Amino acid sequence: MTNTATTPSGQPLGISHKPSQTEAMFTKFKAQNKPAFIGYLPYGFPNPEVSLDALKTMVEHGVDAVEIGLPYSDPVMDGPVIQAASSIALKNGETIKRVFEAVETVANAGGVPLIMSYWNLIYHYGVERFATDFENAGGAGLITPDLIPDEAGEWIEASDHHGLDRIFLVSPDSADNRLQTVARNARGFVYAAARMGVTGERSTIDASPEVLVERTRKAGAKNVCVGIGVSTAEQGAQVGSYADGVIVGSALVHTLLADDNKTARDTAEGLKLLAAKSEELAEGIHNAR
Amino acid sequence: MSVLDELVAGALEDQQTRERTVSLEDVKKAALAAPAPIDAMRWLKRADGIPVIAEIKRASPSKGHLSDIPDPAGLAQEYEKGGASAISVLTEGRRFLGSLDDLDKVRAAVHIPVLRKDFIVTDYQIYEARAHGADLVLLIVAALDDAKLKHLLDLAHELNMTVLVETHTREEIDRARKAGARVIGINARNLKNLRVDVNKYNELAADLPDDVIKVAESGVFGAVEVEDYARAGADAVLVGEGVATADNHELAVERLVKAGAQVKASESTPLSEHQGPYWGQFGGRYVPEALITALDELERVYNEAKADPEFHKEFMTLQQRYVGRPSPLTEAPRFAKLIKDKTGLDARIFLKREDLNHTGAHKINNALGQALLVKRMGKTRVIAETGAGQHGVATATVCAMLGLKCRIYMGQIDARRQALNVARMRMLGAEVVEVTLGDRILKDAINEALRDWVTNVKDTHYLLGTVAGPHPFPAMVRDFQKIIGEEAKQQLQDWYGIDHPDAICACVGGGSNAIGVMNAFLDDDRVNLYGYEAGGNGPESGKHAIRFAPGTGQLGMFQGAKSYLLETDEGQTLDTYSISAGLDYASVGPEHAWLKDIGRVNYSWATDEEAMNAFRDLSQTEGIIPAIESSHAVAGAYKAAADLKAKGYDKAVMIINISGRGDKDMATAGKWFGYLTDDQAKALEVTGAHGNTVA
Repeated sequence: MTNTATTPSGQPLGISHKPSQTEAMFTKFKAQNKPAFIGYLPYGFPNPEVSLDALKTMVEHGVDAVEIGLPYSDPVMDGPVIQAASSIALKNGETIKRVFEAVETVANAGGVPLIMSYWNLIYHYGVERFATDFENAGGAGLITPDLIPDEAGEWIEASDHHGLDRIFLVSPDSADNRLQTVARNARGFVYAAARMGVTGERSTIDASPEVLVERTRKAGAKNVCVGIGVSTAEQGAQVGSYADGVIVGSALVHTLLADDNKTARDTAEGLKLLAAKSEELAEGIHNAR
Repeated sequence: MSVLDELVAGALEDQQTRERTVSLEDVKKAALAAPAPIDAMRWLKRADGIPVIAEIKRASPSKGHLSDIPDPAGLAQEYEKGGASAISVLTEGRRFLGSLDDLDKVRAAVHIPVLRKDFIVTDYQIYEARAHGADLVLLIVAALDDAKLKHLLDLAHELNMTVLVETHTREEIDRARKAGARVIGINARNLKNLRVDVNKYNELAADLPDDVIKVAESGVFGAVEVEDYARAGADAVLVGEGVATADNHELAVERLVKAGAQVKASESTPLSEHQGPYWGQFGGRYVPEALITALDELERVYNEAKADPEFHKEFMTLQQRYVGRPSPLTEAPRFAKLIKDKTGLDARIFLKREDLNHTGAHKINNALGQALLVKRMGKTRVIAETGAGQHGVATATVCAMLGLKCRIYMGQIDARRQALNVARMRMLGAEVVEVTLGDRILKDAINEALRDWVTNVKDTHYLLGTVAGPHPFPAMVRDFQKIIGEEAKQQLQDWYGIDHPDAICACVGGGSNAIGVMNAFLDDDRVNLYGYEAGGNGPESGKHAIRFAPGTGQLGMFQGAKSYLLETDEGQTLDTYSISAGLDYASVGPEHAWLKDIGRVNYSWATDEEAMNAFRDLSQTEGIIPAIESSHAVAGAYKAAADLKAKGYDKAVMIINISGRGDKDMATAGKWFGYLTDDQAKALEVTGAHGNTVA
């Protein structure tokens, strides 16, 4: 069991009512009638040091919020690219303790730091302990691909104590009652999966995410971002025309993978490609409307 | 002067001020004229939940200002909508910023019991509470001597009010009991980390009789503390800050109510009929949202099918005419002799012969049941994972029979260990996908199957092979497998004239054959239950699949459920190893985790060597070749017999579940025992079918 964080006087923490960092970001973008660009990269890929440079590069080249992925041995929501990157990161000594350096790096670069993690990693680290460390590092919120609100009691309590956003997913298959459950318990934004399936690049994006975004808003969500399958500036612009934010993962990760899709690319070359890809996507997404 | 003394003195002074305006006589009259109180005792304890007393709390001496609460009536109504069972209204004005006016407003606004929470030391305050419509009052043991406590308690009871008696120590609880308290508030916070301390709770509340309602009073903030207190045995909880300062008060209360109901449901008995989704603290649905709609549909269709006699008839007809059930219960006297020689226990041993089912293992029971559900759901495609290949073969078989498209995921290492089963599945028309990701064993096959399911969930059913994974799989697979134990029980009586066995032995990978043979006996304490995990090279070697022994598995979420899990310090899944592919899994079904925690099943392990020796023992004494998986249960029988002997049994009736037959394992066994010439062994190397040497 984890220790409940305490106030300096030794009292248990109350509910933090500090404003949500991501909501503030969406408010700013909405005033400009623009969608936000959320980019994903696993922490520790290709190794802990380079991944910090990579995160910084993304923010410096147009990414507004960064989803820092925590590599996991059994990532059931991820396709081959992110699986490969996670596995390289694990081999190269990624540890959850140091992910908070990545959070600070993103925050210092001016981006909004999010973490995306399979639940067992957070549970094992200690939910309250994670929330404390994440808040201290300047973190904004946590995306939980395999934690539904119904199972999230401990996380809801910890995130309330620490003023962190709770980003749950919805998918095109989700029934209306599920959308309501997610919208009711979410804080920050709701992550809408553009299609059924795992992460990965696709040549086309069909119309279903637009319907899903609409349905999710109707269910009560304030901000809805779309991810999974977005890999080009055109797709970013297409999705950005209706979503509050566009999430890109595999296409960015890909720039740091060698052509065999199994090993890391040369660092300097990878970072150059990452910067270019970030810029290209930012251009498309920010000018979507 | 302590804080409490100060608060009491202040409250008394304020009461005396009020008494100068309204005399004791008048307040008495008002109390007697007030509408009758609600019987709060009936609201504070229930079989299916943990009643929540939600507090109107503006401030406290320890935390200072919390919330303005300009509209206490509105707040109370939100609490009520969220499912609160009572409202606590602080009427102390100096430090808690409450008032009798708050109490009046709340009383008028809600239909549930209302508690006046104050520092009550006089009759006047009790009458006053009643006059203002309170159904409950708080008395603090630490603020009262014995005589005063009893007097005020009696007075409140005379006025038909319920009294929540606040205590902090064992001595105070005893004083409260002596004074006649029926509802006791218990504070079991660990002052070091401020978490609910279950040990302290037990120390305080353990011997309180059932008719005393135990209210957890301190440190309850959210779902975490409700769960902790509920599991410790509290009947109700009182929550202040956690609901008063929430952004959405209704939702905050609702979450607490849900958490309490969840704990109650998770511990329901009889054990044999437990339905999930939670087994104690285990189970649940730790899966992507994308699967929830499909799991909901599966649960709905399964519940309909369960209630439909036609479904049951079709299932049982196929079990009889296609699978060949009932599978026999064979007595094994020559093997029993070995047991006696080794342990001294005079045992009669019976083998439940799941190896004689069509396809050679118990897996077909579940595959058949789920395949019939696939038809009912109107889906056309089935995917499944397999370790030893038995579940894959069973799934491919029923899919062939019912005309369903079938794809089986199998880790590459397992596919090499069980090459013949790969050929069997392909022969049956299934597509077999060898998984080359991760460790290339069972868990990786499940990951790939889950990825496929997330992508194709509309027309595809994931026919999970064991009592693991997200709800409803653990309960549903158990239901399809429990026929094993039901038959064994009946056969023991009908064929052998024995009322009940003394012990059951089964191997435990995910745990479906074990649950299947044990379910019928879970609620019969005369039956000792033993489960054997895959010990590989032993627990210290790091090369095993033991989840339950000390220093092995930890609590974690894996592939859809919370259970015991072999994982690293970072929460990454550990590589597992066993000579038997079917037991080579990092986690275990949530029901087993619960049965372990409540001590109903004894879990231990058998190493590769013990299992292989048992494999030979049974083959050569009874002419029955068990699967290597089942051989772990046979090896376990020696350990169970020793345990029974130690418990004082001289004679015992034991059932061993032979979950499958060992034909598929002959290459491994041939090599293990050196039954093959070098040339023959080399020929097997080519296919990689050499079990124990595969890393």
